[in-house]
Amino acid sequence: MGSETPVLTTATLISREQVAPGFWYLGFRCPAIARDASPASYIALDVPGPFSVRLPLGIWTTSDDEFSLLFREWGDRTRRLAHLSVGSQVSCIGPLGNQFTIPARGSRAIIVAGGIGVVPFWLLARDLRTAGVKVSAIVGARTKDMLAGVESLRELGLDVRVCTDDGSEGEKATAIDALRTTGPVDMIYGCGPPGMLRALCRHAVEARTACEISMEETFGCSLGTCWGCVVPVRRGCPQGTGYPPSPRDSRTYDYARVCSDGTVFAAADVMWLEAV
Amino acid sequence: MGGANGARSEPDLRVDIGRVTLANPTVAASGCYNRGAEFSRIVDIAAYGAITLKSITREPRLGNAMPRIVLTPSGMLNAIGLQGPGIDYFVEHEAPKLAGVPTVVIASVAGFTVGEFVDVAARMDGLPGIAAIELDVSCPNVDSEGECFAVDPRATDAVLAAVKRRVKLPIIAKLTPNVADIRPIARAAEEAGADAISLINSLRGMAIDVERTRPALANGTGGLTGPAIRPVAVYQIWETAQTVKVPIIGMGGIETGIDAIELMLAGASAVAIGTANFRNPTVAAQVAAALAAEAGRRGFASVRALTGLANPGFAGARWPADRRPNPVGARP
Repeated sequence: MGSETPVLTTATLISREQVAPGFWYLGFRCPAIARDASPASYIALDVPGPFSVRLPLGIWTTSDDEFSLLFREWGDRTRRLAHLSVGSQVSCIGPLGNQFTIPARGSRAIIVAGGIGVVPFWLLARDLRTAGVKVSAIVGARTKDMLAGVESLRELGLDVRVCTDDGSEGEKATAIDALRTTGPVDMIYGCGPPGMLRALCRHAVEARTACEISMEETFGCSLGTCWGCVVPVRRGCPQGTGYPPSPRDSRTYDYARVCSDGTVFAAADVMWLEAV
Repeated sequence: MGGANGARSEPDLRVDIGRVTLANPTVAASGCYNRGAEFSRIVDIAAYGAITLKSITREPRLGNAMPRIVLTPSGMLNAIGLQGPGIDYFVEHEAPKLAGVPTVVIASVAGFTVGEFVDVAARMDGLPGIAAIELDVSCPNVDSEGECFAVDPRATDAVLAAVKRRVKLPIIAKLTPNVADIRPIARAAEEAGADAISLINSLRGMAIDVERTRPALANGTGGLTGPAIRPVAVYQIWETAQTVKVPIIGMGGIETGIDAIELMLAGASAVAIGTANFRNPTVAAQVAAALAAEAGRRGFASVRALTGLANPGFAGARWPADRRPNPVGARP
């Protein structure tokens, strides 16, 4: 139960590989985090450099005392992280965040990932298969160059449909288009850019299918103290503040912290009211 | 150096903020530590001499829309918007947990009218576990076209004097750096009865999202924190320390022991740490150890002797920079 026991610890970089242009796979040795991580767990890394906050990144895979990250080079912190040399020691806090719900044995589930949103799904697919859930995946991206992680999911034995907006690999479709052409499922899991997640949540609510999404925001503390990474949620949502409504505020929703109340939220709880 | 005296006892780390004594000079800054529970999951928060709670307002507040944070060079801009439960919920659900916090707790009050400051501070007065109240007079004053209280000595005086009439706990006035001259504001706070002054609050700033051609924060402007603002903090602490006699809790961009020493030498009696917790959750213990080492290196019996040491115009009571007594049997 990773979310109950984050630790402040040190991870040692043991491997690094550019798996696609701008996409990096880094392997770390860190027993405390590797052994406690669960699907959707993330870590907050202290990337060397003049940065005031840690870099939160989802855990891609785990194996015994090791975990790996799969991320896109995007800004100074990810660039510096990608170029650390093997053997470097990095301070990390983790595993952080809540977890996906695993449905009953025999249920059918589908994973819908957009681009680097594939990250939480290696651990999830592994756990779903262990739990006897029938699971397949759709991985979408703008172009072939923005796809990552597909082969690793297939190596777990998953049926993975690939689609790209420009048709440069797989079907020429969005992940949501592809989802509409699949048979009924008991559970949908999503992670990806906000526009995709918004469409996914709308689809799931219309189809009356249970759906959980893992969200991303710019984090300050990564622990829930600073309230910098909130998402509007339905009032009464168990992850909301539960604070009474403000008498002088016309907003009828509540906020939840993506970093510590999430990153996983039920599609029906997320209110897509602010800029996407 | 200490070697001449041969003393081996550790310098006394205690400092006094009004009639509250802290075990060491480090304070968690308001807004960065919530009520302490989150950091307790990964570090021992008793490393802090005190923690300052996230500010409480009279009414519940949902806070600003997203985005609320943008990272900037050597710092970050935030505009959270004082999201919080309001004083009723705080008193009922959150205050009872404060008795379990393993260090001194300073509550923080934010208000948009003098009456709100008084109401909230009065409700906190006497709650078990709260040792002092910080007033975030850097808030906009809705009775004065949204101008911040702490840019005006009269508005600062009005808040402090009204709260002091009603509240027994020590009161700390938290001042904004967004002024041309901090001295009249600090003087007004002291004359109105503030038991201590804390500064600096965040510096107002702004960033533009170049791709989307709009402000990066939903609120437009935000407060800049982090090491980028430290020289501003040192300067304003310096000026304030020449103006008032009450103790100063200095803050603004502290990341290391050296940074904290710098603020103490300018005139701070204690040092608050905010944004640096996000990157380095053990920063308090490191800073406290560095302050002890610095006092020891100079042969001081107390870290209090560091306060104002670099500031010839320091107006407060100087702690004697005494060398430790020679141990028994040592030769003079």
